[in-house]
Formats: sequence, C-alpha cells, structure tokens
Amino acid sequence: MRDKYIRCPYCESVNENTDGVVYCRNCRNRISGRKEINLHTAWAMLITAMVFYVIANTYPILVFDKFGSISQNTIIGGVIALWDEGSYPIAVIIFLASVFVPLLKFFLILYILTNYKKPQKGSKRIDQAKLYHITEVIGPWSMIDVFVVSILATVVHFGTVKITAGIGATAFVLMVFFTMLSAMAIDIRLMKEDSSGD
Amino acid sequence: MAEDLDNLIICKKCRTLHRKIDLPAKKVARCAVCGHKLYSDVEGAFAKAVSYSITSLILFIVANLFPIIDVYVKSNHSQLTIPSMISTLFSEEFYVVGSIVLVVVVIAPLSVIFSYLALWFLTYFKLSKSLAKHIISFLMVSRSWAMVDIFAVSILVALVKLFGYAQINYGVSAIALALFVMVDLLFLKSIKPVELWTYFSRVYYER
Repeated sequence: MRDKYIRCPYCESVNENTDGVVYCRNCRNRISGRKEINLHTAWAMLITAMVFYVIANTYPILVFDKFGSISQNTIIGGVIALWDEGSYPIAVIIFLASVFVPLLKFFLILYILTNYKKPQKGSKRIDQAKLYHITEVIGPWSMIDVFVVSILATVVHFGTVKITAGIGATAFVLMVFFTMLSAMAIDIRLMKEDSSGD
Repeated sequence: MAEDLDNLIICKKCRTLHRKIDLPAKKVARCAVCGHKLYSDVEGAFAKAVSYSITSLILFIVANLFPIIDVYVKSNHSQLTIPSMISTLFSEEFYVVGSIVLVVVVIAPLSVIFSYLALWFLTYFKLSKSLAKHIISFLMVSRSWAMVDIFAVSILVALVKLFGYAQINYGVSAIALALFVMVDLLFLKSIKPVELWTYFSRVYYER
C-alpha cells in the first residue's frame, strides 16, 4: 500500500520507506513520524491559523492618525481604498496575497488532511503532490501586507500625521507563521500512499 | 544498499523516482514526467553560490546602512532603512511583528550567506565532517525563512500608497537591495539541496 522509497524534504536523498518513524540516512532529520501525531499537529496548527485569520480580517491592520482624527483600515478596507483610487493592479496583488492566498492554503491543507485515507493512483496522486508544492511556494507571499504596514509605519511618522500598525497585523503575522507550521507538519506519507507501490 | 540509494532521486514536484547520472558542465537534469529541475552540474553550482554569497554580503551591508527611500511631506522628511523599520516596530510595542520581520529580513538572509562561507571553508580544508552536515541542514531551514525578495516587492506596493501624498526619492540602498534580490534568487536560492549533498559526499567520501 505504500511507496518503496521516500524523499527527505531536508536533503532530497532517497530513503527506504519502512513502518513507523523514518529518520533520513543522510542528514539524520526525521522524515516521517507516527501518522496520527503528524495529523493532529497539522490540524491543530491549521485551526490556530484560521482563528488568527478571522482576527486579522476583523481588526484594523493599520491605524492612520491625521491631525488627531483617527481612521482605521482593515485588510479588505485597504484593498477597497486602493481600488477606489484607481490602483487596480496593486489592489489585486494585495487582495491575492492577503485574502486569497491564505484561504487557498487553508483549503489545500484541508483537502490533503481529509483525503489522505483514500488510496490515490496515477494522475490524481501527482495532482495532490503538485498542490502541496504550490502551497509551499506561494505561502510566504502572504507576508506582503505585513511588510507594507511596517514600511508605512516607519516613513509616515510625523508630529501630526502618523501611521501605526494595528492588532490585525500581529494576528496576520501569527496566521502566516501557523499556516507554514501546519504545511510543514503534513507528513509527505499522508498524501503519497498509493496502491501501485512503484 | 545505501550506495544504491545515493544514485536515486525523487522529483520534488511530482514525486517520480529517477536514477541520477553525472552531468557535464552547465547542463541541467529535469524530471521526465513534469519537467521540474532535479539538479545541475554540482561543482559549478556550489562555486557560484559561494562566490555570489560574498557579493550578496556586501550588498546586504550597503542595503542596511543607507536609506532605501526618502519621503518628503511638505516640510517633513523621513527615511526608510531596514534597522529603523524594525526599531519602529519594537518601540511601538509590536514585538511579535518586529521579531518576525527581524528574522525574515535580516537574520535568515545573513544565516544563509554565512552558512555558504562556512561550508566553503570547511570543504576547502576538509575539516569537521559533522559540522559541515549540520551547516547544510541549517542552510536549508534558514533559506525557507529568508524573505528579502518579498520585502522588496512590498516596498513597491508601499510606494504606490504614498505617491499621492508625498514626494519620494530613491536612496543608495534601493539599488543595493534590488541587486541583492537578483543575486539571491539567481544563485543563493537556486542551488538544490541534493547538489550540496552530492558536493559534500564528493569532498568527504571522494565519490
């Protein structure tokens, strides 16, 4: 039911896939632990990330103090403001990076976690590995909004006009962090089991 | 058995098993199923990564010392430097955001650079095999947390937000940062773990 060989995600060397915990023969890192524990870790990290996602989107990520009148921007509020100003490409980039990509990652991880029990063959198995690969590549780009807020908070810092980061920024950073941990906790064996056992 | 396994490689993207072959200089091996790059000529890739890590160290120091952008709003003037950004976050008590920005923009990229230099030193003089092993593992972890490229894109996004209100001049560090990102993506982040490990076993086991 399982593949004969397993790839170490740290050093790319090929290892024999045995039952139980597998340590890489080359770099000694743990490739695969007990399946239930990995599954629970991935779920726990994912749920934590989702809670932070809700907080990050409801609380302001940016606080704009202009001559004493304070306006607060949420992520979506910032996207709408950019769209209204006519900066369509930037609005789309921020929307993709801050709203869409985290949601996409949540769904991909959910999909992998809920489907791992079904044996996968041929093309479907390749698709799942590709999905995982995509989540790994796009994940860090969610950090764009946090960087933008940090940059604005640094340069717009005058006596009467001032930008500071909001609670949403902290929640957002933690969301990105826990999503990355959740993706890392996913055991590659969870999605690569198949019945052909090549 | 271990010897046999060393001749195999699994594609990162689609997990197809391949047998490794020795490549001539400047050639690249690609996955037969999905076309993803598997590895390239090992000696060349490592030599490039080490020499460009010195370049990127210089660029990184310049990028941190001088302002990236100068912002003028009426009579007010402010500057963006990487250290000032982090100290602003800390002074406003955003410790979590500040620490993560510090790690992904400063500590992780520096770890990558110094890991390459240390690895070159150890392999050149054939010193401590176990330390070299740890450095390769550390290099791979710190590389996945280095996000200077994303930070550079964020500066462009922030500029768009500022254009309406302020006059903006580019500083010395803007060029250094752009060059750093290019070098980082082309040479430091493009080397595959398997290339480092093959180089490692060539040096220490003479295979």
